[in-house]
Amino acid sequence: MIIERSSEWKDGLIKRLDLNETWDNWTLYNMGYDVVKANLITDFTGLQSPKYLPNLTPLSHQLEVAETVIEKMNGKAILADEVGLGKTIEAGLILKEYLIRGLVKKALILAPASLINQWIEEMNHKFYIPAVPYKKNYILDNCNVVVMSMDTAKKSPHKERILEQDFDMIIIDEAHKLKNHKTKNYEFVQSLKKKFCLLLTATPIQNDVFELFYLISLLKPGHLGNYETFQSSFSASKHDWEHDDHLKELVNQVMVRNRRQDTGIEWTTRRVQTIPIEFTNEEKEIYEMILELKNVSPVFSSAFSMITLQKEMCSSKEATYLTLNEMRKKCTEPDVIQYVDEIIQKMMALEINSKAEKALQIVSEANDKVIIFTEYRASQAYLQWYLYTKGISSVLFNGKFKNSKRDWMKQLFKDHAQVLIATESGGEGINLQFCHHVINYDLPWNPMKLEQRIGRVHRLGQEHDVHIYNLAITNTIEEDILALLHVKIDVFEKAVGDLDNILSSLKKSI
Amino acid sequence: MYPQQIHGYLRKFFSENNCQIIKDNDHYLTTQLTIEMDKKIMNRPFYWKYLQNTNGVPSPAQLTLITDQNKLDENIKGEVVHFGSPRLNQLFQTTRELGAFVQMFESVAGNAETKAILTPWLGVNYKVSYYSDQTKEMLYSLGINLITGHMMDDFQEWVSGLELDSNMPENAFNLTYIIKPLRALERLDVAIENIINQDDHTWAKEAEKRWHKAQEVLEHFYEGVEDRPDCYEMEKKALEEQYETKIKIEIINGGLFYLKSYPQ
Repeated sequence: MIIERSSEWKDGLIKRLDLNETWDNWTLYNMGYDVVKANLITDFTGLQSPKYLPNLTPLSHQLEVAETVIEKMNGKAILADEVGLGKTIEAGLILKEYLIRGLVKKALILAPASLINQWIEEMNHKFYIPAVPYKKNYILDNCNVVVMSMDTAKKSPHKERILEQDFDMIIIDEAHKLKNHKTKNYEFVQSLKKKFCLLLTATPIQNDVFELFYLISLLKPGHLGNYETFQSSFSASKHDWEHDDHLKELVNQVMVRNRRQDTGIEWTTRRVQTIPIEFTNEEKEIYEMILELKNVSPVFSSAFSMITLQKEMCSSKEATYLTLNEMRKKCTEPDVIQYVDEIIQKMMALEINSKAEKALQIVSEANDKVIIFTEYRASQAYLQWYLYTKGISSVLFNGKFKNSKRDWMKQLFKDHAQVLIATESGGEGINLQFCHHVINYDLPWNPMKLEQRIGRVHRLGQEHDVHIYNLAITNTIEEDILALLHVKIDVFEKAVGDLDNILSSLKKSI
Repeated sequence: MYPQQIHGYLRKFFSENNCQIIKDNDHYLTTQLTIEMDKKIMNRPFYWKYLQNTNGVPSPAQLTLITDQNKLDENIKGEVVHFGSPRLNQLFQTTRELGAFVQMFESVAGNAETKAILTPWLGVNYKVSYYSDQTKEMLYSLGINLITGHMMDDFQEWVSGLELDSNMPENAFNLTYIIKPLRALERLDVAIENIINQDDHTWAKEAEKRWHKAQEVLEHFYEGVEDRPDCYEMEKKALEEQYETKIKIEIINGGLFYLKSYPQ
């Protein structure tokens, strides 16, 4: 075994004996010894970090995660707590522990651009970890803990600069973005040396079990076997397999997941309702004309654009018009153009948006702050106008907003507006515990997106029951989406564990 | 360390280093640094370089440290320190540097007629750290009698209870050492290695097992792949760095002790 020692003290002693250098102060001598004694790490196991963090009171499940990851998983793990349980705190505890123990000197934190400031802030203020944001002109050799976005990190020349550094620990937030192994993100993370590594995601499976395979293969290649062996055991169907107990056990060796109910904290209840909505006859007519389009012209033969149009029609005529008008430009035959124009004319004449009316009714009855999530910018703008005409104030929220604007909009919502209308990408990382009503105006294909949305309000610090309203128009594509969401939730629960309610109990009826 | 303990520590640290304490409330203190201390802890080499080049009048900084933010109701500008804060770590480090080598004499009461005999000892405080993907640290305080070669442990505990002075008392005389201090240090170094050798090293075997297992998993992933990609080598290296076992021996401080007392 390697034994490291230094002759520094011996050299100092020689100077005092032979060269008459002055001796030191006895009080400082004793103080120095006492400090080392007080800071001594007397055991391989157990956490040192809490005693260095007087301003932080970690919750018991967070301490447990930190201990499990360090002692049982050897510092390589997926932190998959449900949204809002404090994965950042857990990561901070683990990083701090390794820093104190001298096992990590340099660490890299990769987070979405919109969350970089939040990471810097939490690491510095809660953990006294001197994390800095990545800057082009910083000399990375001198930065011990660097926070940057994946989008920056994977590009030249930043990529090369990062790979040059010898990081002991890599932390990746929102790691579900690595589910696709064919992306640059994945390739980049694969090329990083991962001595200690934490992947943070509340949603390790979004669609199918292969996502989990690729995520774990980044962390610990081989843990689930290689692609061929994994595929042959688990691929009869992507949604369905037999060895789920065995898989779950393997997964649990590298993943910790706390659910709200396991935390011992009193959680407010999540009340989820799926609200079926009937189209008016006029809306239904347009929807059916849209369904017919694929038989009218090859321009509309692609399943993808047909699905988009159907989903948009379930949202608002404004959203539909934008797409339809683009496609109209590709049409050449007069009768096709005439058919499309007829749809557009009927849309113009349309006065009622049944779903918006329902949303309005919910907002009025709640008589409280409400967040509405929509998939479309056009619907977002429409809803703001519509609510305005009914005397309800709202603010908009998009993922493209800069940090300062996000904070400003959040403040406006808190102090002045009743409704916040957000698009999907606006959902990540903002915390809105002061609100307890969420309307999913449009449903995404991916249940984890719903979980992320709900997590904005149903998280630590929420004091009220949280009401979730999933709007779905009957006899439209939204019913198919609901059914698929249930299948995907089932996959997740088999591989990872139960989920808190995302959809209402409709599940059993499918 | 609680805020009060930290406060006491800081007060002691600055006054021992001749930095005047200007204000001392129970939750913050302001101290006038000496030039030496300013150079040591304020991290402004350019200022000192500039002064030297311009023959300017040095103006060492005053430092206000807040030890208990919660009790602070007045508007005080200062640095908040707590157990774990970078400033306190720096002062801990500085303490170690400034208290690394001592030469101490046991005080002798009584008249000058009967001179007491003081026996020389070398005392050394060692910190031993075991590293794999986990760590553990141990303190050993060893002393060696420079006349007889007799060794003892818990030396620090013993001497810190004696009344010692950095000046040789007038009514005493020292025995000259027979074993030279450097030779004695070598003996203590060997003693430390013996202690380490006799320790239980299951931890290292366990770490090797974890390493072996992780390596197997990795091999499994690349089974049948002839040209293994760069990331295979990368993973392999990461595992080595993660699990490799290592022992580090550090000397915290130590010194020559001339003692009248003899350990029980």
